[in-house]
Amino acid sequence: MNCLEFRRAAGAEPMRPGVEAERHAADCAPCAAHLAELRAMDDTILAALRVDVPVPAAARPVAARTAVAALADRRRWYAFAASIAGGVILGSLLWTSGTRAALARDAVAHMQHEAASMVKTGIPADRGAVDDALARDGVRLRGDPGLVTYVMSCRFRGHTVPHLVVQTSGGPVTVLVLRDERIRRTTKFHEQGYAGSLVRSGPGGLAIIGATDAQVAEAAARVNAALEWVG
Amino acid sequence: MNAPFAGKHGETAFARLCEELRPDLFRFAFWLARDRHVAEDVVQEAMLRAWRSRESLDDSSSVKAWLLTIVRREHARLYERKRHETVPVDDLVNDESPELAVSERREVLDMRRAIFALEPDYREPLVMQVLMGFTTDEIARELGLTQGAVLTRLFRARQQLRRAMGATGTAGEEDA
Repeated sequence: MNCLEFRRAAGAEPMRPGVEAERHAADCAPCAAHLAELRAMDDTILAALRVDVPVPAAARPVAARTAVAALADRRRWYAFAASIAGGVILGSLLWTSGTRAALARDAVAHMQHEAASMVKTGIPADRGAVDDALARDGVRLRGDPGLVTYVMSCRFRGHTVPHLVVQTSGGPVTVLVLRDERIRRTTKFHEQGYAGSLVRSGPGGLAIIGATDAQVAEAAARVNAALEWVG
Repeated sequence: MNAPFAGKHGETAFARLCEELRPDLFRFAFWLARDRHVAEDVVQEAMLRAWRSRESLDDSSSVKAWLLTIVRREHARLYERKRHETVPVDDLVNDESPELAVSERREVLDMRRAIFALEPDYREPLVMQVLMGFTTDEIARELGLTQGAVLTRLFRARQQLRRAMGATGTAGEEDA
């Protein structure tokens, strides 16, 4: 084996270059040094590949999960859990309460249950009520989110969340303030004819739903800038 | 037929195995997709599929390879459905930066960026070898390649990473 052949073998499998390659390295100092460098690099590669892993949902009681399961997607997850003794085994393998797509669908479904709130109006919601609903979730307004015309504290995926409707230049937009949803990256979605966005904010995020992307974007920018997460 | 994961005892054994493998399966999916959220979705779906099919496994020693295949297929399925738009590598890495442990060495961060930038044909076999511990023979079977092709891709992956990390070329080193 010559040096070129050695470097190809070592470059492909530094940890197991083969008997011939090991023999070559024993007699060739530059190649031995090259192998050592490759092996050190592989340690760095492995460290780099070991990114943080999300922790799966704690094994919540099946009954509690089932109580909030409203959509086919979630029922599919928990049907498996419920079919197993205690529902703990499969539940412990899953991430949080579903995928981002499931969060988007749940948010739209929740908005649709309170569709009467999505009206174009100039009548503001009571500021005290808005502050109270947000404060219950450890959030306060430090800026102008736009005209808030509806506020409610709602049950959503097992938590009580502030549900706002904010008026944009194009029409009303629903904003759910979701402290307990891990939204790591802002993403857009389109669901059942609505435009939406899951917006990274504070420790959780916002689910924003409107008729058009432009309305959603306008509300997302204003509301996210106006919120202050405390505690 | 031996079905090691059948019945209640099998469920527990299977779940325990999945739990042990889950971190590396997530990491594998992450490096396929280069997106944490996609990786979560992929592994979530893969786990469900694996759970449904666990009784078809007749060899407990092949679970890792079997799960990896499911993850790859779920990624391919998701990728076809969603057609993720191309995101600049810097954006991908910068998005991940808040999640990096404070104690990560600069070298590790630089290597992560370099791996992000590898094209999939080089990145995937490298991840399978270094992270998942597969032999080149196993990688060849999984990817439908010859062993020679796998060796070439691994060599080129490391060559590119060495260059990215600032290593100068070695006399006589050529592309395989």
